[in-house]
Amino acid sequence: MEVKNVAPPRLHVVFACLGVAFLLIFSWVLLHEGTTEWRSTQARFGRLQASVKNPHQLAQAASVGGLRQIWLPDLGRIDRCGTCHLGIDDPAFAAVPAPFATHPGTWLSTHPADRFGCTPCHDGQGGATDYTNAAHQPQPFVSRPMRPLETIEANCGACHRALDPPDAPRLAQGRRLIVEFGCFSCHEIPGFEGLTFRGPSLASIGYKVRSGWLAVWLHDPKAYLPQSKMGNFRLSTQEITSLQAFLLSQRAQPPLDSTGIDWKRADAANGRALFGELRCVSCHAVNGRGGTMGPELTKIGDKVQRDWLFSYLKDPHRVQPDTPMLQYRLTDEQLRDLTSFLFDEYGSAAAATEPPPVTYQDARLVAEGRAVFERRGCTSCHRLPGFKDTGRIGPSLAGIADRDPDELPYGSNIVRHTTDNYIFLKVLLPDTLGQPSSMPTFGFSPADAAQIALALASIRKADLPASYVVRRPAPAPYRPGGAFGELVDRYRCLSCHSVNGYGGDLSTVPFDRIGSQLRRDYVAKYLLNPGAVRVSVEARMPVFHMVPDEAKTIAEYFADVFVDDSLERYDARFTAVEVRRGQELYRRLGCQACHQLGTKGGYVGPELSTTGARLKPGWIAAWLSKPQTYRPDTLQPDYGLSPADARALTAYLSGSGADRTRGGNTP
Amino acid sequence: MTPRTLHTLAVAVLALAASAACRTGPASQPGDPMLDAIRAKERGGDLTYRESQGQHLFLRYCATCHGDEGRGDGQNASNLEPPPPDLTGPKSPQDVTYLTSVITQGSAAVGRSPLSPPWGRSLTHQQIEYLVVYCQSLGRKKPA
Repeated sequence: MEVKNVAPPRLHVVFACLGVAFLLIFSWVLLHEGTTEWRSTQARFGRLQASVKNPHQLAQAASVGGLRQIWLPDLGRIDRCGTCHLGIDDPAFAAVPAPFATHPGTWLSTHPADRFGCTPCHDGQGGATDYTNAAHQPQPFVSRPMRPLETIEANCGACHRALDPPDAPRLAQGRRLIVEFGCFSCHEIPGFEGLTFRGPSLASIGYKVRSGWLAVWLHDPKAYLPQSKMGNFRLSTQEITSLQAFLLSQRAQPPLDSTGIDWKRADAANGRALFGELRCVSCHAVNGRGGTMGPELTKIGDKVQRDWLFSYLKDPHRVQPDTPMLQYRLTDEQLRDLTSFLFDEYGSAAAATEPPPVTYQDARLVAEGRAVFERRGCTSCHRLPGFKDTGRIGPSLAGIADRDPDELPYGSNIVRHTTDNYIFLKVLLPDTLGQPSSMPTFGFSPADAAQIALALASIRKADLPASYVVRRPAPAPYRPGGAFGELVDRYRCLSCHSVNGYGGDLSTVPFDRIGSQLRRDYVAKYLLNPGAVRVSVEARMPVFHMVPDEAKTIAEYFADVFVDDSLERYDARFTAVEVRRGQELYRRLGCQACHQLGTKGGYVGPELSTTGARLKPGWIAAWLSKPQTYRPDTLQPDYGLSPADARALTAYLSGSGADRTRGGNTP
Repeated sequence: MTPRTLHTLAVAVLALAASAACRTGPASQPGDPMLDAIRAKERGGDLTYRESQGQHLFLRYCATCHGDEGRGDGQNASNLEPPPPDLTGPKSPQDVTYLTSVITQGSAAVGRSPLSPPWGRSLTHQQIEYLVVYCQSLGRKKPA
């Protein structure tokens, strides 16, 4: 077979043209590479370096040239930011403008660039080597442009899970709000596992609340209580009526008998005194002031029925087994006075009239209400017998920060399409995103919604290598038995105090080593009539009306069990010289700025006149030496005291108890 | 219809279209409501990010004596002799070295009363740096 191999002459021209074209493209590539943005930036840096550094430093400075990148295989990232940010780790460039300025603060020493790179914190396109493509500013089709500093804490949270890093106050506040409002009751949220949020049990709500109140509450909880943790479910009138009937039909357990109570003999003045003495405001707010652990009491008289309140104050654990509220030891007369006071003081006259006729006998309406109750996922927060735990009604938020922003709904809101903005709008106005939503509107302020969104924006999909993740292990539940356990349960010590991280944080005194901190006699006496150790603190320990035997049991248990041996072995035989030296130190260090001693001094920290009667010397010395070891967030500064100085101060403060205690009970 | 009329008509239509385009102006930029909400809260006082970090710390550690706005009127101020100074206004200290040593080593270290304690062992360098920039920013405020 003969192959005819005659190229037409036109093909030579094509080859020639192609050759020239390739040559042109090749030269253009060479030229382009030679004049890239980063090369001119590096050239500028060279000139700047010559002006910033002296010839000796210049000779020692590493030469810059070429692309510089950090490869983080564990994180799957390549960051070339260092190609232009050439002075980032050199303090000599602290005062020069971007891009050559030194990284502010100590962040690079706590997070070395060769381990953490740049984009894990800042976001942006690490692989790019020019300003625009690196996404310093929002870019089309770039889902994670560089974060502005105001929201950068979302990235702190990606590694620092459930343990708040220092200097990330927005993240910390967002997480606090998530816990406070119990977002994890309806959504699975990584980092908040094991936490439970419980709205009140509804088993006997038919005896508890007034039917008129219930309708107002279901229509909009914030209308009754602006601080309400329950959101507005946007229920229709029909839904409210049926739900009201269903809830009023819940009458599992009638209140304790109060028929023998003569309400006419109630002494409101005594009730008022009790209200103060029991320190109700440590947990309950009235007129905008007070604690947040329990419900607001400003309009309690409009909400609940009198017999129920009497019964609840007498034994709160009977109808609400896991309430943080303690059971006071009060007589029926005291309970009557307190109930009566709460009704008169914190209820309006309108509510005193009898509630409208009850509707809960209508079986059809009750069944309808039951359906609404199930459909809206009320059991996510409230328990009701006969309903099995159906889990969380809302979608899981795992990986929410990595959702594709262009696939998310934004409704008619004109916003840039980012996951941040989507989460923010969803938290703030869940019904405006153009999709039916059963999420209630919580009525957050924009600032609060932004902080919650920021905390949620730290929940990434890709899991980080364990070596990057900082976690706080979940504390093991502490449930002591015996007589002490019963008292801890009755007085709900763990609502405010903690043991090994388990319990509340309202109190500054965890139980862990309390037996080595406080003197046994002091504890026994204090529990019978707790006063204020800190003058300016609003949340104080309640007067439990405990009997002396109970106080003794607790004091002995503390002294036997919650002991730190290193604090017990302290030689408390002080010399007069040490005491004098301590007195001098007390003055010289300015302790009086925050502490009262005698009649002089500030009221930031505890009053110190009775220190010796309250505290054991080993604890005083240990606390003064390293306060942050025991409470990382304490306001007590670490003075870096030498052991001798700490001892001298301990000698002075221990002695002061014996000198100044009224009715001194120093052993 | 003569070509001349057609021409005039086309020009008129184009001119109308152009004026309509001008009237619309540039499309409004979509916003960042989350960022705006944080800025509205923190930059109400016209603070930079670092200054607002300092403000968080100031409110926790300092305001009880120095006052929420640094005017020397905190709730504990009346117990102090000498009273805490007003940190606002043009006379407020601005020098980084001075501010850093007062905060780190306490007021006694710069020859004043010992009432302001040393925070150098309790706070990190980073936190003290934030506090320093916040104290500097207080100088922009009018004194009480």
